Amino acid sequence: MYKLTNMKFKRCILIITMLLAIPFATTIKASSHAEGDGELNVKELIFHHLLDSYEWELPCTDAKLPLPIIVRDYQGKWHMFSSSRLSHGEEYEGFKITHEGDNSGKVVGTDAEGNEYRPLDFSITKDVSEIILATIIILILLLSLARWYKKNPNKAPRKLFGGIELLIEMVYVEVIKPILGKDAKRFAPYLLTIFFFILTINLIGMITTFPGGANLSGNIAVTLVLALLTFLVVNIFGTKHYWKDLFWPEVPMFMKFPIPIMPVIEIFGALTKPVALMIRLFANMMGGHMITLVLISLIFIFASLGTAVQSGTALFSTIFALFMGVLHLLICLIQAYVFTMLSTIFIGLAQIHGHKEEKHEK
Amino acid sequence: MELFKPELGLSFWLLILFVLLFIVAAKYVWPIIIKSVDDRADLIDKGVGYAQEAQKQLENATENAQKLLSDAHRQQMEILQEAAQMKVRIIEEARSAAAVEAKKVMDAAAQSIEQSRRAAEEQFRAEVSGFALQIAEKLVRKELSDDKKQKEIIEEMLKQIEKQN
Repeated sequence: MYKLTNMKFKRCILIITMLLAIPFATTIKASSHAEGDGELNVKELIFHHLLDSYEWELPCTDAKLPLPIIVRDYQGKWHMFSSSRLSHGEEYEGFKITHEGDNSGKVVGTDAEGNEYRPLDFSITKDVSEIILATIIILILLLSLARWYKKNPNKAPRKLFGGIELLIEMVYVEVIKPILGKDAKRFAPYLLTIFFFILTINLIGMITTFPGGANLSGNIAVTLVLALLTFLVVNIFGTKHYWKDLFWPEVPMFMKFPIPIMPVIEIFGALTKPVALMIRLFANMMGGHMITLVLISLIFIFASLGTAVQSGTALFSTIFALFMGVLHLLICLIQAYVFTMLSTIFIGLAQIHGHKEEKHEK
Repeated sequence: MELFKPELGLSFWLLILFVLLFIVAAKYVWPIIIKSVDDRADLIDKGVGYAQEAQKQLENATENAQKLLSDAHRQQMEILQEAAQMKVRIIEEARSAAAVEAKKVMDAAAQSIEQSRRAAEEQFRAEVSGFALQIAEKLVRKELSDDKKQKEIIEEMLKQIEKQN
């Protein structure tokens, strides 16, 4: 049994390593095409991988999967067309993908005076497609798990469902229940959904090629929305006592009147919580992706120094990237867990009741 | 830095999709799963409780059986002891009854012997007195006349003899 798992594990690592290499090969080929002189632009390459794009690279070829672009021009008219119409710098209906300035890599339009402007962009980009994919995966897994539970009451699931249940128990029984107590059932759906969503997008981000390949949780827009949702849940469901503590805490009078020192500190604290959530997830996931990219890029940077140096670097980089990759796999789970745990704690802190009530409960 | 600039379109789609996912999951998934997990945990807790109770009951039953067994042993001993005592008593009783009976028989025998002895004495006395009278008559006839006073003397003397006997 142990031997089997060990072999499976080894095979998994091998597959991950190989998958890591494929998109690099294609991209490097692609970027050298673009540069023309064979010079490798590492910065562009890394950012190309970290950022969103309007197309989805397919593995093993130069072909890209076109995705729909949905934009609203300066006159308030909506345009929807395939991203293949904008590839290789082409212009379509007054829109093109620019490679210069602040909007580099984004769709820009040209208005009547000939000035470039950024339209309202609701395109289904690579990241959005990835979110759709993640949502579908989560829904399929969870709905089938729920159906399994309905069919087999009072039974413990095995294999895949057993694994999912393990995660549910890890979050619900170990985190949500002890922290929220009697409010656990009320907030569990949100917290469990956010846990599985983050975990899934983290893990999909680990797949380096086609069905994955997007740096989703390392995108600040994604973590911003997730942190904002937690912020909204915390404050919308916060108790009266929480609001009173926020604006009129129980401290000596001189600390809140005439200069509201404590309220300012409290409100600042309430605002920093979601910001911390946002930056923690973003930095961890982006850092994981970046370190792999940098390590693999090292091989090509040192290529100019000769075969021996390149071989050495290749060996070192691959081993180290593999190590970091496995570590990052762990971080995928840990960050999803930490985000959920901190959200739970923040919700729990906003669920405080008066001291009298607390004493009464005890 | 583009890296730190949140994209409006992506945020919008993420919000839509996440809220959609949340609504579906909150309606069709989590209540069922949480209920199942909680129910199963309760069931397992209950099962453990039942097992512990059963164990306790089993121990109690064993104890009870032990108690019953020892009680039975004691009773048996008591009965045996009682039986032994009864045996001794019965033998004793029989013996005393036999003694009483034997005494009765002996007494009766002694009485009848006495009776027959007395009867024999009476007879003997009567005979002896008869003989004596006859002898005296013959003697007196021969030597004395029919004197009343002398007859009285003889009678008295005979009575004295009788008394002595």
